[in-house]
Amino acid sequence: MMQIKPILAALKRHKAGTILIALQIALTLAIVCNALFIIQQRVDRLSRPTGMIETDLMAIQNRWVGIDDEATAPLVKADIQILRSLPGVEDAVSTNSFPLRGGGWSMGVRLNPTAKKPITQTTLYFVDDHALPTMGAKLIAGRNFRADEVVTIDPKVFESSPVVIITKALADKVFPDGSALGKQIYITEGAPSSTVIGIVERLQVPWNGNFANKFEGNSTLLPIQLSGNFSAYLIRSKPGQLASVLKAAPAALFKANRMRVIPSERGVRTYADVREQAYKSDRGMAILMGIICVVLLAITAAGIVGLTSFWVGQRRKQIGVRRALGATKHDILSYFLTENLLIGIGGVVVGAMLAVGMNLWLMQQFEMARLSPVYVIAGVIVLLLLGQGAVLAPAMRAARVSPVEATRSV
Amino acid sequence: MLKMTHLSKVYRTEVVETYALRDFNIDVKEGEFVAVTGPSGSGKTTFLTIAGLLETFTGGEYHLDGVEVSHLNDNARSKIRNEKIGFIFQAFNLIPDLNVFDNVEVPLRYRGMKSAERKKRIMESLERVGLASRAKHYPAELSGGQQQRVAIARALAGSPRLLLADEPTGNLDTQMARSVLELLEEIHREGATIVMVTHDPELAARAQRNVHVIDGQVVDLAEDPRFHAHVAQVAEATHGR
Repeated sequence: MMQIKPILAALKRHKAGTILIALQIALTLAIVCNALFIIQQRVDRLSRPTGMIETDLMAIQNRWVGIDDEATAPLVKADIQILRSLPGVEDAVSTNSFPLRGGGWSMGVRLNPTAKKPITQTTLYFVDDHALPTMGAKLIAGRNFRADEVVTIDPKVFESSPVVIITKALADKVFPDGSALGKQIYITEGAPSSTVIGIVERLQVPWNGNFANKFEGNSTLLPIQLSGNFSAYLIRSKPGQLASVLKAAPAALFKANRMRVIPSERGVRTYADVREQAYKSDRGMAILMGIICVVLLAITAAGIVGLTSFWVGQRRKQIGVRRALGATKHDILSYFLTENLLIGIGGVVVGAMLAVGMNLWLMQQFEMARLSPVYVIAGVIVLLLLGQGAVLAPAMRAARVSPVEATRSV
Repeated sequence: MLKMTHLSKVYRTEVVETYALRDFNIDVKEGEFVAVTGPSGSGKTTFLTIAGLLETFTGGEYHLDGVEVSHLNDNARSKIRNEKIGFIFQAFNLIPDLNVFDNVEVPLRYRGMKSAERKKRIMESLERVGLASRAKHYPAELSGGQQQRVAIARALAGSPRLLLADEPTGNLDTQMARSVLELLEEIHREGATIVMVTHDPELAARAQRNVHVIDGQVVDLAEDPRFHAHVAQVAEATHGR
């Protein structure tokens, strides 16, 4: 560190190269910090539990053909009976949607039926008393629906249900004091109230986009089977028998009634496939950002190697003179490492400010979360270490310059 | 102060061995001002680089200030260069990115000297060579003579035991060369040991003692036929003009 002052003095005489490398480091830091932050967010999102036990779970999406909406209820009931009686099936349920399906039904939750603004949003899962065991959702308070509470309703006239089961996230939001069980909530403005009879630990909403982030754990289960053209079936197989059920279930449904379409794509899926497809774009974005980070870091490292190699070549005579005047090989090595560190520090100071600025812009434009200082600190450390690593080879070459170089005329 | 005994320096390639110095013997006493002369390619610069520990040698012995240097490692050689030897190069060898003050400071920093002590020594050295007022100037802003004076100040700042000068006036015009030489003579009168390599007989004549090198060996000028041949060659060239 004893060389800082003369190094700074020398750098002042090589402004262009110094500023260019410092700027490259700054831009890399700003982009890498934000990219890593985005990756982390995507990874967090990918790792979110749905609240269901996802192994041995599969989904079938069914559309009736040539059958009036009002006439589908008994057909769905028959389908469910067939599915539950299949060998290898543990349980099955008909529902309008399920976590990560991508589409569903959402409503505002109120405590006052005439309140203009709901307290929060919730998704509605229209199910029956088999939903919790089929999904593997954990009931942490109250009770499950009874079979006699399940009714069939035309979705066009749906208003509310006398009883509901809600998730803990929703319960905590609407009743922050923790007293949700047995309380009344309103899921349609002006409609009759629903009594909370059970609370499940967690059940994710069907959407995984940014818009659903604020209520991603707010789900309400209603003991209602909607009549209509579309129905989705969640099926839990007995342990290890998912593959056979995956084949047997659609075959059994077609055997019972051919007036249906089960899309070849996404019609019959294991839940692992559902998750995979739901997070495809998140995973793609994380990989893309990762590639951008690696490429940027490689370019910056190459820039540092290039500039330092050029400077070492340019200063061979000067290095020889320094050696002649008493510099050890270590002194020369430390000269170049310190020089790089000083440029790096300049770069990361500007880069840290750029990173925060870029994040503020992303927050405004794309509703991104605030960048944690941890990313900036980690980025600063990575960039400084990268710089030192990149400069090591040319610096070692410089240290090997012989002191006799001082006497050479060119 | 500086004693080389049967010293040799051989450059080897796959096919040829070239002796730059062969059975080289020299003994420079403390306080002497010795000029090492000889024609181009005679080995005098090789002698200087070995004397200054810039290069290693192949055989023989070299004692510098009582220390046999052949077994010293690179760090120890650097330390001796830094503490005991002051270099004055033909091309001045100032660092262009540093101003005069910072240039003189370079060897003192490598010695790990405290800032206040460095500053005192630098200003004393610059005053000694008459350039204290140019401390903030860069080498490119100085004349050749001034640059060489800065180089001398840099060599003096560390209070070396030995000053090694390689053609110190080679890049200077007559007037500047004279002033630099006068400065060296003055430094010598103050007790410094100076070994100066030059091919200029006029410059060599100003030294206390001359050592002549031909074909990598120190020769006794009175008895060596190569010297007489060299003199005859020079004379012929002079008359032929």
